[in-house]
Amino acid sequence: MIPISHFMLISAALFCIGLYAVLTKRNAIQVLIGIEFMINAAVLNFVALGRLDKFAGGGQMFALFAIVLAAAGVAVALAIILNVYKHFRTINPAKIDTLKD
Amino acid sequence: MELLELSDNNLFLLSLAAVAFPLLSFLIVLFGKKNSGPAFPILNLSVSFIISLSVFLAVWNATPVHPQVEWFTLGTKVYKAGILLNNLSVLMMLLVSGISLLVHIYSISYMKGDGNIHKYWAYLGLFCFSMMGLVITDSLLLLYMFWELVGFSSYLLIGFWFTKEAASQAAKKAFIMNRIGDLGFLTGIMIIYTQFGTFDLVALFDSGGLVDSSSIIDSMWISSHSQMPVVWLSTAGLAFFIGAIAKSAQFPLHTWLPDAMEGPTSVSSLIHAATMVAAGVFLLGRVYPLFDSISLNVITIIGVLTAFMAATIAMTQNDIKRILAYSTISQLGFMVAAMGIGAYGESLFHLTTHAFFKCLLFLAAGAVIHQLHHYKEHHQLEFDHQDIRLMGGLRKQMPLAFLTMSVSAAALAGLPLTSGFLSKDALLISSFEWAQGYHGFKKLVPYILTLTSWLTVFYIARLIIKVFLGKSRFEGISEVPSAMSTVLIVLACCSFFLLFSINPFSFESSWVLRGFSSAGVKRFENMHLTVPAIVNIISIVIILVAFKLYRKGEAKAFSDRGFLYRFSNNAWYFDNAYNLLFVSSLERLSHLSSRFDILIIDGLVNLIARLMNMLSGISDWFDRNIVDGLVNGIAAFAGKAGKFSRLFQNGKLQHYLITMVSLVITFFIITYFI
Repeated sequence: MIPISHFMLISAALFCIGLYAVLTKRNAIQVLIGIEFMINAAVLNFVALGRLDKFAGGGQMFALFAIVLAAAGVAVALAIILNVYKHFRTINPAKIDTLKD
Repeated sequence: MELLELSDNNLFLLSLAAVAFPLLSFLIVLFGKKNSGPAFPILNLSVSFIISLSVFLAVWNATPVHPQVEWFTLGTKVYKAGILLNNLSVLMMLLVSGISLLVHIYSISYMKGDGNIHKYWAYLGLFCFSMMGLVITDSLLLLYMFWELVGFSSYLLIGFWFTKEAASQAAKKAFIMNRIGDLGFLTGIMIIYTQFGTFDLVALFDSGGLVDSSSIIDSMWISSHSQMPVVWLSTAGLAFFIGAIAKSAQFPLHTWLPDAMEGPTSVSSLIHAATMVAAGVFLLGRVYPLFDSISLNVITIIGVLTAFMAATIAMTQNDIKRILAYSTISQLGFMVAAMGIGAYGESLFHLTTHAFFKCLLFLAAGAVIHQLHHYKEHHQLEFDHQDIRLMGGLRKQMPLAFLTMSVSAAALAGLPLTSGFLSKDALLISSFEWAQGYHGFKKLVPYILTLTSWLTVFYIARLIIKVFLGKSRFEGISEVPSAMSTVLIVLACCSFFLLFSINPFSFESSWVLRGFSSAGVKRFENMHLTVPAIVNIISIVIILVAFKLYRKGEAKAFSDRGFLYRFSNNAWYFDNAYNLLFVSSLERLSHLSSRFDILIIDGLVNLIARLMNMLSGISDWFDRNIVDGLVNGIAAFAGKAGKFSRLFQNGKLQHYLITMVSLVITFFIITYFI
């Protein structure tokens, strides 16, 4: 049986990759992909730790729920990115700095 | 002798007027027009003299007049001031105003053409005013004030030619010497006031007055007011005597008088005859009842010593005025010694006769100096016109000056028929009579006085012979101007016996002497004959000897190199001794304190200044660098911090996110690993 720590390491690696993508990518779509990575790291954790749950299937249930929520979020995010692109003519987050002032 | 009937009140006003006129002269001349001429002061002095004469006639030998007014009140004590007219003060009044008037008239010619002549008249007025005030006042305090005024006006007059260095020095010297005496006088006044609580001369010194009725019990001096140890009685007497020493130029404070010759000769005459130096003797006369036996002994010794010393000095001086100055000191020594031996009346009698003939001596000498000075200026020569070695044979050119000066010299020498004969013999005889009752050094007093009177004969004969006899050296010196000669003649008449006594050989018939009651001394009849006879025979011998010695003009009686000659010529080295003792030591002290001042005090101040400079430099640096640096540093830090934190607010989402993430990570690191 695969020990839980392996799952945890994979999940941490996934989270870090996602975080790295979010922080460094010059494209909003890629940032969105990074977010998905991070969500999936969390989902992986839910599923792996679900094994320890006394109430069977709780972790899997939560993972399904999170996937659905992530899909909905991506839909909204893509819509925002579209609007951002319309407004700024770019989706490079480094060039969008009207948040200051 | 009451020729004039005057009420006391009138006398009071008259005497005040006599004092006030010279003051008026002083004020009006000083603040009036500069070239107002001599008429006004002479008029004033004449009025003053006439008033003095009338007051004199009314008061002489009558009951003393003593009107007083309230002066000021301290607490409940009322201080009175007034005038005291008794024989002593009216005689002095007459003398002062008379001599001053004559000197005023003399000065018309003598001071003619002087640039500051109006000041001269003014100062003369002030001088007469202070002297007149001094003699008539009845309060010790007022007496002291006038005493100071006399000192001050003499200072002005001696330094009248103040552009001459010697004159201003002499004036300062006179003033300083007199200050020493003033200190003594003031001390005396304070002791008297402490003991008796009053300044009133009449209450103090009248017969039956406070001083008379105070007694000595168990070495305590007790008066009705308070008591103190008896030593203060002697101290008071000596303190007053110190005042008299300075004013009357007695040993050891006599050195100012010869130097005072730097003033105009008429002023010297005034100072010497009737005003300033007489004030000391006058003071002794006023406070006479105060002196106990110690004070009287000191007075006698000082008087005798002064008389002898000054006479020996006068023998070798060459300046005509200096000879006369030392002669005055010597004669004052006689008067003071007479006071000391209780010959109160004789002393004042000598003061009176001396006033006339000494005034005449000076004025005649002044005439000679005046004419020689003009001669010198006329021929544009350069010589000391006061040096008797250069004079000679002036009797032909200036017969009047010669005659009058001879008369006064005879009076000074005490030759018969002159006034000096009367007073000097009175003095000598009473000293012999006094000495009969004592042993020891007191026996010597009359002999020293007699010896001194012979010395006097010698030096005055030398003066006359050197100046007037012998070969004539100057051609074309004219007789003195008429204003001067009138005065000389008047004074010459006053130098004969007639003014003072009808009998030329009996001083006891003199009205002046009879006006003063002397302490009764046992009378020795044979002395009244032998003393004058011996004294005068030897005097005449001395005159002949001097004549033989000096007739040739060139001869010197003494070797220049002899110790005695130098001792005498340098005036017993008094000036040198004072220079050594006081002046140079004082100068050294002041040098020392100047060095101390410069080195220590200034050094300290400079050091402190430098220290402060350094300190302020440090605090300046501290202010600039630390305080300002701190403020600037904080400001700069705030700016830097602001700039740094601005970096995070760049509006880029990813950067915010990085910050947040790193914060969270930091938080976790801190929480879990540290």
